[in-house]
Amino acid sequence: MRDLINEIWSTVSGNKLRTALTGFAVSWGIFLLICLLGAGNGLMNAFMGNSDDFVKNSVQVWGGFTSKPYAGYKQGRWIRLDKGDASLLSGAEFSENIVDVSPTTSGRNVNLVYGTNSVRVSLVGVNPGFSNINKVNMSEGRFINPIDISERRKGIVIGTNTAKALLEGTRMQPKDLIGKWLKAGDQAFVVTGLFHTDESRMGGEAFAPFSTMQVIEGNGDNLGTIVFTTRGLETEKENEDFNQAFGSRIKSRHDADPTDERALWIWNRKLGNLRMTKAQNILATFLWILGVLTLVSGIVGVSNIMLISVKERTHEFGIRKAIGAKPGAILKLIVAESVTITAVFGYIGMLLGMLACEVMDRTIGQNSVNVGFTEIHILENPTVGLSVALEATLLLIVAGTIAGLAPARKASRVKPIEALRAE
Amino acid sequence: MLIELKDINKTYYGAQPLHVLKGVTLGIERGEFVSIMGASGSGKSTLLNILGILDNYDSGEYRIDGKLIWNLSEKEAANYRNRLIGFIFQSYNLIGFKTAVENVELPLLYQGVPRKKRRQMAMDYLERLGLKEWAGHYPSEMSGGQKQRVAIARALITKPSIILADEPTGALDSRTSVEIMELLSELNRTENMTVIVVTHESGVANFTNKIVHIKDGMIGEIEANARHDASPFGAGGIMK
Repeated sequence: MRDLINEIWSTVSGNKLRTALTGFAVSWGIFLLICLLGAGNGLMNAFMGNSDDFVKNSVQVWGGFTSKPYAGYKQGRWIRLDKGDASLLSGAEFSENIVDVSPTTSGRNVNLVYGTNSVRVSLVGVNPGFSNINKVNMSEGRFINPIDISERRKGIVIGTNTAKALLEGTRMQPKDLIGKWLKAGDQAFVVTGLFHTDESRMGGEAFAPFSTMQVIEGNGDNLGTIVFTTRGLETEKENEDFNQAFGSRIKSRHDADPTDERALWIWNRKLGNLRMTKAQNILATFLWILGVLTLVSGIVGVSNIMLISVKERTHEFGIRKAIGAKPGAILKLIVAESVTITAVFGYIGMLLGMLACEVMDRTIGQNSVNVGFTEIHILENPTVGLSVALEATLLLIVAGTIAGLAPARKASRVKPIEALRAE
Repeated sequence: MLIELKDINKTYYGAQPLHVLKGVTLGIERGEFVSIMGASGSGKSTLLNILGILDNYDSGEYRIDGKLIWNLSEKEAANYRNRLIGFIFQSYNLIGFKTAVENVELPLLYQGVPRKKRRQMAMDYLERLGLKEWAGHYPSEMSGGQKQRVAIARALITKPSIILADEPTGALDSRTSVEIMELLSELNRTENMTVIVVTHESGVANFTNKIVHIKDGMIGEIEANARHDASPFGAGGIMK
């Protein structure tokens, strides 16, 4: 092994310029491959990150306006979800797939007032399970609990930025608001908790117990949205069928055409994730193909240079064979040289590529774009993992072997007598 | 009989077939110091290539130590060359990017001898040939005589049965030529090494104990040269 390394070192150091030029082609190929993969990962991480606040297998349903006439009603009718829909979903019919149903009241726009400050929020009545499904991250205090529901307590959970706005001009910290009474419209609520707000959860809403809000609104059985988690739905097809099944049941309860897509809005995150994963795989494959094609030009370069090198060294191989080198030994020497050049320069390219990904992370990765209602990152953590590095290493070794094989076979077939004549 | 050639024929098939060796029959005993002499085109280089297992022959029989050398695979041929034959070439044929000692130990590398032992043996041979101080030098830093002595060390290191020297003094001045021939002669005398020198110079052939003349692909006169007076130009010198 050490002899092989010495042999390679002596030939490579004897042809510095040639080696450097060849190496550059390989480095460049790998560099581009890593940059492409890094950017692709960043794009995907950004998508995923922006939807990270939600439980992956949750479904949210809310009513829309009908777009088709049905059962004697004309189109353009508002479908309002009610308690019957919630009990249908939590009932035996869908118990195989639906785990945890949590209805909410429709949001009610109120002014929250504390002291002299007021903030307009949408006050939604929710059940304790809501915070799990929609991942409401508490920063202080607690979320709505079952006792709130059963006793119809008038507690309220607000966002930290709502709290800050309410405390403007005072010396209080947001957490000091816990236990304080706020005026909300013509009611008063005590603050039980604060939840984190960020770019994707702007805090324009506040939460109160579902049962309390139902009484306050006085609109009987009507609901805003129904949120639930699913189980046992793994494929895209299963999710689509499931959406179809429960959707048409709810629609027919409200005398809407079961095929009317606009009468009922269904947001199945599992389905969204499955589709996104598919898109991600396609993107990743595409990037790999692009990168590998770039690398191919590097391989051709190495192969070409090795061919020239073999031609130049014909005499040397003749000498080696005359003093007893077997064809296999020559073959091994050339392939090892090719793999070494490819691997070393490939690694340089890979490190530079990872560096470029870091730079991307520090610059573009910190930027976010306003998309109207919220801000999203374009790239999030645009780097490649260890597995990609290992795959690339393997790829380099294979590439080097392929690049070296043809020249090596040529070298191993050199006839010593002809090679010695070539002077 | 160490080397037995029986009715060796060799034809090069080009635009015009060239019958280079026409039934060569020759025997060389162990420990002989022989020269094969002939003008260019006489077939002496072809004969040397066949002796060195660098080339095939068309018909006949070639045996080294009783082993028939016929239809060998490249691998077997390489193995025989490595273990049986030490080559000395006119143009030294050292590898330019390797130091003297690395060149000398190269045949042992192909035998799979461990690195330390290889280096030790190579240093021993270089020392014997008076080149210990030059072990770390590259061929380009040495004189012709030194290079040829490195090549001789490389030929000797595998303790071969035969030393084949192809115009070993061809690129050397007359004084160095004498030194090299005396070295070969000494190897033959003190170590009983079989040495075959191919040359067209009678002065070189004169150092050997037996001169085989080859002409037009056939063995001509074989003279014993025990008194080393075959050179028409006088003993002790090589006419250049």
